[in-house]
Amino acid sequence: MVDLNDTSSINNEQQRDLSFCCILAFIGLIAVWLLLMPWIPGIAKQSLQRFHLRTPSFSVWAAQFPIPSMYNFANQYKVEQYPPGFVMMILDENWRYANHFPARVITFFAGRYNFLSSNQDRWFTLKSSYRGQFLESKFHLEAQAEGGYKLIRIDEIEESL
Amino acid sequence: MNKISQVFQRLQPAGFKRPLAAYRLVQAAILISLFWKWKFFLEANSIYANIPVEDPFFPDWLRSVTTIRLAFWGSALATSISLIASVNLLQKICSWLGFFGISLMCIHQGSYNDMTFVTVWWCCLWSVWLAHRLETGQQELLIRRAAFLSRLIISMILLGGAAGKWTPEYWSGEVLFDIYFVDRDFWVFNYLRDTYEPKELQEIAKWYSRQTVIVETVSGIGLWILPARWAALIGTIILSGIVILSNQYLLSVVGCLIGLACVGFLVPRRAQPTVLTAHPTIEKPTAH
Repeated sequence: MVDLNDTSSINNEQQRDLSFCCILAFIGLIAVWLLLMPWIPGIAKQSLQRFHLRTPSFSVWAAQFPIPSMYNFANQYKVEQYPPGFVMMILDENWRYANHFPARVITFFAGRYNFLSSNQDRWFTLKSSYRGQFLESKFHLEAQAEGGYKLIRIDEIEESL
Repeated sequence: MNKISQVFQRLQPAGFKRPLAAYRLVQAAILISLFWKWKFFLEANSIYANIPVEDPFFPDWLRSVTTIRLAFWGSALATSISLIASVNLLQKICSWLGFFGISLMCIHQGSYNDMTFVTVWWCCLWSVWLAHRLETGQQELLIRRAAFLSRLIISMILLGGAAGKWTPEYWSGEVLFDIYFVDRDFWVFNYLRDTYEPKELQEIAKWYSRQTVIVETVSGIGLWILPARWAALIGTIILSGIVILSNQYLLSVVGCLIGLACVGFLVPRRAQPTVLTAHPTIEKPTAH
């Protein structure tokens, strides 16, 4: 099945295409990043932080967008009307799975409509895990008098990265 | 497989430029992906204006609803012009505009890392690269490179899906059970819920999840190695299967990739080298 002629003709061609080589190198770099993710905890940590919008710098977070990550990790979220610890829930079972980037439950249109239409404070807890690494983040969405919300990251975070 | 290639070959008029056809095919596929998100855009347009979320992580202009409007419409308009333009300069400019617009969508608070925009971004990168080479004299070399790049991109995207699923929660089916099998309104899952008990559904979810992990892993690692037309065929089947067996919304994610995969069908067959064998003539012994 392997048609080496297809690629060897590219390699043998005298006319070089620098942009083509740069894109190949870029794809190769991403592939290496992805293949090492299960074995190098630092890579998975970067990705988990990326999923929770907790990368220390926006630029570093934004630079990772070309890395494809559909349906990655076990991501869960929970939305509450009261601050964590304020009311002990008898049944703490309202966790749902999100396919990827669980913070989008807060920022994307469907989540905003479902959870933030009431203009009342809400507390979001996000959990993501990947091969023994775990990240939990809490966000307070504070309703603003003029409409909309202010997102506040709650410091007491749990992680085992 | 050969028949598909033959159909493509027959459809080609004289003076047919394969790289240009590939370029237009991908522009059309990008537009399908973008407009399959039409409902997203309409709802997002209204919700983001009415329920802003102030988060200092994002710069102000990347939280603004105006930015997302300009980025979406700018990309769609530029891609539409790329599709019909015959002037190469216009194709180059519009490819760059589409690329920048989609890059903004990929980092905007209201659309970041949506897989539709990520897959469209890769198609836009491919388009920018190709737009700058459309007028080359080496059309066959160009279409071969374009097809190779297209299957490499598709492999990498599938590998991205696979690598994040190498977890116990996906191998057990737990994640996809909750996302799809519990309440997703799509024909496959509606049928399964109507037909099987919850216990059986969990077992089906486990095998559904495992086949997803295996297919993505194998195709992520191996699709790019295949010959162009085989990669095009298998890539199209896998990507279409994702839509048919998961949910219709994913057409926006894989629509542009299906267009990118089909570039492989435009790669011409290699001419078989004519081997002139000099068979020694064996003379029959004449009967005396």
